[in-house]
Amino acid sequence: MAECVKISFTVNGEQETRDAAVGQTLLSFIRDELHLTGTKSGCEIGECGACTVLLNGKPVNSCLVLAVELDGKDLVTIEAIAKDGKLDKIQQSFIDHAAFQCGYCTPGMIISTKALLERKENPTDDDINEALSGNLCRCGAYQEIRAAVKDAAKK
Amino acid sequence: MLAYEYIKCSNLQEALELLESNELVYPLAGGTDLFVGMRGGKFAPKKLLDIKNLNDLKVLAEDEQGITLGAAVTLNDIAEFAPVKKYIPILASGCRSVGSYMIRNRATLAGNICNASPAADTSAPLYCLNAVVNLVGPGGDRTIPVNEFFTGPGKNALKKGELVRSVTIPKPYPSGNGVYFKASRTGSVDLATVGVAVQSWGDQVKIAIGAVAPTPVRAISVEKEINENGEKDWAKAAALVKNDISPITDLRGSREYRYHIVEVLVRRGLEQTMGV
Amino acid sequence: MTELKCVGTTVARKDAIEKVTGAAEYIEDRFLGPLLYLKMKKSTVAHGKIKKLDISRALEYPGVKTVLTGKDYKSKIGLYLVDRDFIAIDKVRYWGEPVALVVAVSEKIAAEAVELIDVEYEELPGVFDPFEALKPDAPIIHENLGSYEVVPIFYPQEGTNIANHFKLRKGDTDQGFAEADLIIEKEYYVPQMQHVPIETHKAAAHWSPDGKLTVWSTAQSPNVVRQLLAKSFELPMHKIRVISSFIGGGFGGKAGAGLEGLVVPVAQKFPGYVARIVLNREEDMQGTFTRQAMYATLKTGVKINGKITALEYKMIWDGGAYTEYGVNIVRSAGYSSTGAYEIPNVKTDSYCVYTNNSIGGPVRGFGMCEMQWGIERHMEYIAKELKMDPLEIRLINGMKNGSTTAAGQVVEDVDFKKCIETVADQIKWGKKEPGSNGKLRGKGISGLVKCPAQPSNASSSAIIRINEDGTAHIMVGATEMGQGMLTAMSQIASEILHIPVEKIDIKVPDTDFTPYEWQSVGSRITYTCGTSVKRAAEDALGQIYRAASDLLQVPQEELTFDGKMIYSTKDANKKATIAEVADSCKKCTGEGIAGPIIGRGSFIPSNMTNLDPETGQGNPGMFYCFGATGAEVEVDPETGVVTVLQLASSIDAGKAVNPQLCKCQLHGGTIMGLSTALYEEVKFDKGVMLNRNFTDYKISSIDNTPHIDSFIIETPETKGPFGVRGIGEQPMIGVAPAIANAVSDALGVEFNTFPLTPERVWKTLHEKK
Repeated sequence: MAECVKISFTVNGEQETRDAAVGQTLLSFIRDELHLTGTKSGCEIGECGACTVLLNGKPVNSCLVLAVELDGKDLVTIEAIAKDGKLDKIQQSFIDHAAFQCGYCTPGMIISTKALLERKENPTDDDINEALSGNLCRCGAYQEIRAAVKDAAKK
Repeated sequence: MLAYEYIKCSNLQEALELLESNELVYPLAGGTDLFVGMRGGKFAPKKLLDIKNLNDLKVLAEDEQGITLGAAVTLNDIAEFAPVKKYIPILASGCRSVGSYMIRNRATLAGNICNASPAADTSAPLYCLNAVVNLVGPGGDRTIPVNEFFTGPGKNALKKGELVRSVTIPKPYPSGNGVYFKASRTGSVDLATVGVAVQSWGDQVKIAIGAVAPTPVRAISVEKEINENGEKDWAKAAALVKNDISPITDLRGSREYRYHIVEVLVRRGLEQTMGV
Repeated sequence: MTELKCVGTTVARKDAIEKVTGAAEYIEDRFLGPLLYLKMKKSTVAHGKIKKLDISRALEYPGVKTVLTGKDYKSKIGLYLVDRDFIAIDKVRYWGEPVALVVAVSEKIAAEAVELIDVEYEELPGVFDPFEALKPDAPIIHENLGSYEVVPIFYPQEGTNIANHFKLRKGDTDQGFAEADLIIEKEYYVPQMQHVPIETHKAAAHWSPDGKLTVWSTAQSPNVVRQLLAKSFELPMHKIRVISSFIGGGFGGKAGAGLEGLVVPVAQKFPGYVARIVLNREEDMQGTFTRQAMYATLKTGVKINGKITALEYKMIWDGGAYTEYGVNIVRSAGYSSTGAYEIPNVKTDSYCVYTNNSIGGPVRGFGMCEMQWGIERHMEYIAKELKMDPLEIRLINGMKNGSTTAAGQVVEDVDFKKCIETVADQIKWGKKEPGSNGKLRGKGISGLVKCPAQPSNASSSAIIRINEDGTAHIMVGATEMGQGMLTAMSQIASEILHIPVEKIDIKVPDTDFTPYEWQSVGSRITYTCGTSVKRAAEDALGQIYRAASDLLQVPQEELTFDGKMIYSTKDANKKATIAEVADSCKKCTGEGIAGPIIGRGSFIPSNMTNLDPETGQGNPGMFYCFGATGAEVEVDPETGVVTVLQLASSIDAGKAVNPQLCKCQLHGGTIMGLSTALYEEVKFDKGVMLNRNFTDYKISSIDNTPHIDSFIIETPETKGPFGVRGIGEQPMIGVAPAIANAVSDALGVEFNTFPLTPERVWKTLHEKK
């Protein structure tokens, strides 16, 4: 049976110590152990971006990270983007521009956007393309997403 | 996926000792190829050695030898490294062509070449830059040219117990422009149907191509025509590339299209780097 | 019409905050309780007899509760043709068909136990293309086709691989062709594609000791799931509860029923547990509905003035291994087979053919993308032969008010001309732009039309409850898969009731509480459910006025309601708060007047009829939504890469309930159409789906999606609520032909199939030379 390893990490600003099964992905750990279900599984091979989270501030596909690799690191998921009940400007912008439909890709899309705006204050179209090309939206909300990202950058 | 042991290595010696084990042991850097392969049944390691913490492998430096890129350095970090952008931008292009931004926050150059897909986007640029792969193992350190590192589809020159320590792009750096063209189905996040790197070295050129043979290859016939015979008709020179490649038909493209597109991209690469 | 205050305005989505914060619940988030994990053992042959199935080693594996096989399921399932087994019994018909189901205490254990099941197949000759399947000596895939229960508007042919043959005969095509000055006949092929919603298919079931079944599912249509489960498992409907949640993309792939039936016997075997199955991406791609490939021959007779006199359309569809749903796509394509054009003489034969490829089924467009690819490419050939403008040809033949469709139905409330002229103007049709740097530019247009594909009696209902404080609940059977149903329904209710949208709650279905809706498919919901909600709101408002009238001693006609107060329009002092009226309305002397306000509304189409089995004539359309697409492209002739410079999409929505969300659907459908135009093609090799993940099956991403100029035309649909008609599928239909027409214009070569990958474009150009 799967061996367990004790890991210590911060998640959404809180210090935690948990057991992680070797072989469990970070995505599965986030959903099943931490019960943070905002992060989604869409492909398990790092192609769709629905599982995007910030690991030490950088957007990564959590389906391709092991839970045990979370040890000593800082994890941020969609649940932490709104602060104290107040929506982040990115979230408000997504709402204003209706930058989502089914919403399944949205947590990943917002995480990638958050990371983008932290590294580029005034992202160009090329910057947006690079940051979000790994977040697939089958509903086709790309035009609205682009507008929302640009709008959020202005605020 | 079978059960395996995960070991977070704290020093290089420990990693090397574990790599010598009789069991199937894989080093884990970004995991973006490894985990996909493990899920698909392609790889079934008994032990995973997490090498991301080893300072020896985190080198990202430019000095009188050249630019050294440690095995644990991510593709995004390499693409953003000022000396890479300044002296060898063709490699930044290659790095940025791999997967998505999120993938590149985990994937490493070493991983890309160890996975040894003939389509690896960093490979053709590395071939054009005289890159060498620095290995460390039971026999100590050794260095081999990158084109000797790729030995077949998914096969590399690592001996049992060896690990890639870093990749060095030695001085002198190229004096001219370099381009990496990636033909793909979507022009977005995709595997290369073919990848063509053309790097000007003054009046000399180096050309390398991925996804057209069991390993990435140099376009020797084209290079010879230009470098030795002084050919300046780029179309004429590019037409010789068919002698240097042996593409197959697969999901991403047919043999016929690959022959064609390689010639087009080599010609365009020459036009853009060797002057009109 | 009085000016609308809410319908026709842009309000924020009702599900907005949930979706941007990650709080939105999708069905997997509702799989709570003691869980059992299910994994399928899948067939490794496309056509074969199961010679040996040994589950003993799996049964013994620690953590495995049981292993089910085909014999554990008493009946087949099928929406239109009951041809599908939940788990293969004796024979498999497609690669990946489930042959056993492992039930375990964890996903990991279930997956490991699957490997311990030994299966031996006697491989049978497989049929992988419908032409092979139609040959007289072809292996028969469904030997008992004649014994399957079938809705009598479909015509399977026993002893063959023909699951349905839809026939349409309008007018006299012999005469029509005789009158023509020119006859053009071409072949068209559209490959399979897949919805690939980011959320895969998931289902769970729970059985309680009192015989109550609860099912959670990604299904678009909980009521149909309930109906099919009731039939398959011989349970009364009130003992089956189907629970929905936000759906992470449907696009038709989650229509009907599939996984739900698989989990029910497991739940019954382990009462109290929640038996869950979650498909991974590969299973989702090869094991759920795939758009059927279409092989077609289209022949038109046309006069020198551009008028088409006759059309003969033969469509052969690769239905895959099970056609329980696919038979209807074939029918819909058949009865719509003139696309947006009025043609007096039509002969259409549309065949749904069994093969050993993946299961064909509903995908956005329901046959329209495929069938209208042929029509819209064919219009180009006609234009070229006649040396006429392709826009002109479309305008000459385009339907108008009073036109008849292929099925002979008269269309009303339409303005196709406006749709197509709008996109033509946007892309500056007629002005040829020069390419640059060796690239070639071209422009293309396409018309489109679709009516909802549904039974003629597909009904809908809604219930509205007014709370004591004047807030309200809407209950509907429609699902929310991103199209904005929750918001649109709230706006419609708000318009009638004057209760602001923020004070209205609406939930996705739970069949124990929500009333019947046939299916959330076919672009029908805003029209059908919208009508039901409107009627429920009117009913509730009537009850409010009746109670207030009694309370205030004022005639009902004199009353008005502003969301908070009901007052007399003649004497503003005669008023009551909603709180006084809504729940326990009583006289000032204490006697009760009226109880809680519960509004009820339902809708059933009355303008659809059966179709004649020989001629296909009748009224299959509840409404017709027209539109058009225009594209300008730049093509690199050396590489074949197509860059879209302009993409314009128009749709006649009748009335956009929420203009912003209407545009979102327009953009979304256009992008999905573009993705299929340039990238998407399922590849099979002897039934094995080769490209069954996102590495090998590519879809549009943000960086290769051009800007879309979108136009909502509003020609009111008289019978629709506020003039509304549905538009979810339509924007996708015109894109592939518009792009191909533009590339054709740029390069001077023709395409009879798509996607227009760089290789296909280059090859077509290269072959011409």
